[in-house]
Amino acid sequence: MLRQIRISMLIFLLLLAACGGSDEDDGAANAEGAPFRVAIVMPSSTTDIAWSQSMYDSLTTVQSEMGGEDALKIAFSEGMFRVTDASAAIRDYAAEGYDLVIAHGAQYGNSVFEVASDFTETSFAWGTSSDTGADRGIENVFAYGAVANEGGYVNGVVAAMLSTNDVIGVIGPVAGDAKLYIDGFVRGVTDVKPDAQVNVSYTGSFSDTTLAAEAAHVHIQAGADVLTGSAQQVVGAIGVANENGVAWLGTQSDQISLGPNVVVTNQIYNWANVISDMIAKIETGELGGTAYKLTFENDGLRLEFNENIEIADEVKEAARAAIEDIKSGVVDPVLLEEDDE
Amino acid sequence: MLTGRRRIEDQFVYGIARPTGGHRAVNFRLNAPYVQMYGIVKRFPGVLACDHVDFDVRRGELHALLGENGAGKSTLMRILYGLYQPEEGRILRDGAEVTIHSPTDAIRQGIGMIHQHFMLVDTLTVTENVALGLKSSREPLLDLDRVEAGIRELSEAYGLQIDPRAPVWTLSVGERQRVEIMKALYRGAAMLILDEPTAVLTPQEVEELFVTLGYMKENGYSLVLISHKLQEILSISDRITVLRSGRLVGTVPTKDMTRQELARMMVGRDVMLERDRDDEIDVGEVRLRLEDVKAVDVTGQPALRGVSLSVQAGEILGVAGISGNGQRELAEVIAGLRPMTGGSVEMDGTPITDWSTARRTEAGLAYIPEERMHDGIVRDFAVSENLVLQEHTSDKFSHGIFLAFDYIARYSRQLVQDFYIKTPDIRTMTRNLSGGNIQRLILARELSRRPKVLVAAQPTRGIDIGAIEYIYQQLLEQRDTGMATLLISEDLDELLALCDRIAVIYEGQIMDVLERDKTSAEELGLLMAGVHPERQ
Amino acid sequence: MFDELFTISTLVGILHSCVRLATPYLFASLGETFGQRSGVLNLGVDGIMLMGAFFAFYVVFEGHNLWVGLLAAIAVGILMGLLKAFVSVTMQSLQGISGIGLYLFGLGLSSLLFKTLIGSVEGVSGFRQLAIPFLSDIPGIGHILFNHNALVYLAYLMVPVSWFVINRTTLGLKIRAVGHNPEAADTLGVSVNGVRYTTMMIGGALAAVAGASLSIGLQNVFQENMTNGLGFIAVALVYFGSWRTVGVLGGSLLFSLVNALQLWVQALAIPVPSEIAVMMPYIMTIVVLAFTARQIQKPAALARSYERGE
Repeated sequence: MLRQIRISMLIFLLLLAACGGSDEDDGAANAEGAPFRVAIVMPSSTTDIAWSQSMYDSLTTVQSEMGGEDALKIAFSEGMFRVTDASAAIRDYAAEGYDLVIAHGAQYGNSVFEVASDFTETSFAWGTSSDTGADRGIENVFAYGAVANEGGYVNGVVAAMLSTNDVIGVIGPVAGDAKLYIDGFVRGVTDVKPDAQVNVSYTGSFSDTTLAAEAAHVHIQAGADVLTGSAQQVVGAIGVANENGVAWLGTQSDQISLGPNVVVTNQIYNWANVISDMIAKIETGELGGTAYKLTFENDGLRLEFNENIEIADEVKEAARAAIEDIKSGVVDPVLLEEDDE
Repeated sequence: MLTGRRRIEDQFVYGIARPTGGHRAVNFRLNAPYVQMYGIVKRFPGVLACDHVDFDVRRGELHALLGENGAGKSTLMRILYGLYQPEEGRILRDGAEVTIHSPTDAIRQGIGMIHQHFMLVDTLTVTENVALGLKSSREPLLDLDRVEAGIRELSEAYGLQIDPRAPVWTLSVGERQRVEIMKALYRGAAMLILDEPTAVLTPQEVEELFVTLGYMKENGYSLVLISHKLQEILSISDRITVLRSGRLVGTVPTKDMTRQELARMMVGRDVMLERDRDDEIDVGEVRLRLEDVKAVDVTGQPALRGVSLSVQAGEILGVAGISGNGQRELAEVIAGLRPMTGGSVEMDGTPITDWSTARRTEAGLAYIPEERMHDGIVRDFAVSENLVLQEHTSDKFSHGIFLAFDYIARYSRQLVQDFYIKTPDIRTMTRNLSGGNIQRLILARELSRRPKVLVAAQPTRGIDIGAIEYIYQQLLEQRDTGMATLLISEDLDELLALCDRIAVIYEGQIMDVLERDKTSAEELGLLMAGVHPERQ
Repeated sequence: MFDELFTISTLVGILHSCVRLATPYLFASLGETFGQRSGVLNLGVDGIMLMGAFFAFYVVFEGHNLWVGLLAAIAVGILMGLLKAFVSVTMQSLQGISGIGLYLFGLGLSSLLFKTLIGSVEGVSGFRQLAIPFLSDIPGIGHILFNHNALVYLAYLMVPVSWFVINRTTLGLKIRAVGHNPEAADTLGVSVNGVRYTTMMIGGALAAVAGASLSIGLQNVFQENMTNGLGFIAVALVYFGSWRTVGVLGGSLLFSLVNALQLWVQALAIPVPSEIAVMMPYIMTIVVLAFTARQIQKPAALARSYERGE
């Protein structure tokens, strides 16, 4: 018996250490001028240089704009790839009285609506989605998403101009998930070089860096000289591109640190405006109902060039022109059949 | 055959982990004591397992250690082998005091032990099992060739036939025992303790073992044989030490002893184990009939391949065989615990093949299962509850849905008294009883119902001689009142003592059914090994 | 369209991918084989891999030599192995649960250290492709087998080494005996717990090297949970390979081959739905497991702790 207790304690300690990754702040300040409290639940980590990091970086940007921790408190739970864990975290944050709870994943939809109907005084946001639950009578949920095909198109234009072999490799996560970005990318390539070959492969996972790295090898061996890809799995692939001196076009977050010599452009998701708008609305008592979209037009999407490497002016020019065309509606990056990424 | 002395010297050539005393056997003085134990005391919670016991073994001697279960003989030898630490007492080897903390220490002192349950790794070969734990001459690499050569020499010298390259799982029980002996010999043991070595062997294998032990004796080995089989001890030992309830009864030269005298020393009173051979056998009609019965074992393999038997009223039919040849399945099929895949069972002329166990019990079938702790009783029930387990719903023991506690208590006390069940109280948890008393309890429960047919599977295995005697008496008494008994046992002496006829089962088939008075242990032994003597 | 798959250059490419992809699986599952053959099931391989991946990366990131990074990983792997041994051998906790605990510990601690010591995803320069002179010039085979980084060669070298240790050394004999019948080994003076501590350390070291093969060999980056459950597949591969080193090699190669195949099928735009392509490794695994369900070599004492009975 005693032994069992000792062992249980040991395992408990192990588990405790394992949970060290998720930070929570419950220093609720009720005094006047109390900070706005926002919590975010995300499937990967704040440093995934992709989807989760884009939101976290935007939040910290808003935080410094608003005046630091005294104005905006951020709590987060990362690595919530199991929806049941995420669901519990969302409910916990709501119960702890956070002003805004962001569920940063399309897979969290059901959990958000379930918790939102129990905590009608709390505001929730989730994406990628355009569904605020209004048709179900839910009024305290925001939805958000990125029109990723716009940046995909521009990256496609850049890829076509950079490629000398006219073979370009794309590494997707789960089929269908990065569809907007990839469709836009293919369209961008073919608008510049109709005969260029775009090879798309999916790893079947968002986080399988090993397979994504191997996919990069495969594309390179199949002749590709420009690569792109989506989700947090791409870190390994960028490493391979870097090692082989093959150009990489990033999306979602700034990926230059991983491939300082090969990352040419990044489409960056800038959620700062969306977050600021949500906070403003919440403070006036509007807890949901808006569906946000990141576009070049509203500065939600940005295309950044790697300053450290030399990029031909004509490439930069073509990219800028493409962005202008999209903004003005001259170019429709893809036939937008679906709303969701 | 080379002379023993040379053989032992040869061991130096290949003996890898020679114990410090390995040379002892070279210049031994016959009859000098090898190991002496003085005033050994060992307590277990609530029991004094060894109470100031003295014991000694000489070189070139086979010393039998005799006693009932719980007499302390295994405990004494486990102390010598370093598995237990004594509270008091001294151990001397070659006259010098030694302390033995572990089996490794024991091996270093030249003491080896062959356990009842073999300590072999069956996925490894014989050679690998022998080499395990020894320092190799090519450390860290194995030197299996050398070990194999050593095994071959030893097996020639002592008549221990084994294929060094065979994986252990392919070996028979007898062969495995030889591997165990080989392990001890190869490690340079000068003394071997054998714990009930013949319990698992066929009569032929027992013969071979005794031949080997004889060679070893000639070569100056000291041998200790733990046993409760009187006949066997009388035939091969030089001296006998008898223990009773943890105390030394005496150490005597074998040549001065008879079976009766030994039994008296062991139990403390006269014991009647032989059936009166002149008694009239009053055989009646067939009570239990099996026709072409087939069944499979737990793994789905055929265990019974068409067994036909019949047992008459007033008869004890024995089923002899080496464990695992379908005995368990046979008992379970008759008791209704195992589905049959073919054939039929009849009781008093009525087919009972499709009957449930409860219905069979009601119709007069009694069953003493092999795994008595597991199948025979509920360990956490009180003695009285176990005594009425089967009939608790009958009118005797219940009023409607309520149990008649007063009557159950009176009835239980009566049975406890009649069947000499040693228990502090009828409310005592059954798990706290000794094996012999649990068997008496089961016997009391089954026989008090006056069954027509009794199936008894290994009823005396692992219980003390006093309880065995009582069980024999009960079986014979019930037989005389017309009960038909099917007695499944691996103990040939028991079958020859009790049965009217003996059937031999081998690989799920009945080899033959023999009249007790017209057969011998040798003939039965061959049949048990699957050999028809007349066909040889 | 399928013709493209069967050109020499594609086949060479697929096999080249397969050989490389098998690297982490080989290290991890060979390490797990040692543990399981001695009767200890370690489900914490993935956690050890993450710790190994992190420490190898961190040491290299701080500007040290790659081999120093590898040694750091080995040291951490041995420590993790000791921790596992302490919990499941000395404390005798249930091996499955303590393995999961170890996994969570490795996952959490590597993430925490990454956040505090590095903070963002960075790249390092890892082991470079090392074409073996002459051998790599052999057409086809040369590229498939002899044009990889040092850790890939090391992984394949570990197969015969592991086989030799298990089958030809006294330690190996003890491992096999302890995994099958610890009582028997104990009566012959073999320290059951000592052997199990040893195999946990070997297994921990190999699992950590498996992690390092990702962070300073194949990807040259560290990301939280970058193993993505690879360690659990490595445990399955040990069952798949019937606890034999050759079987583990076969399993690792087969699993990697199907993965490589699906990547190539997609990259060449061969019209197979990507969902099917992605499922291929798992379908293959199930099919092969169904046909290799024999468990003859399974250590009888697997996942059972040993206590000397009196």
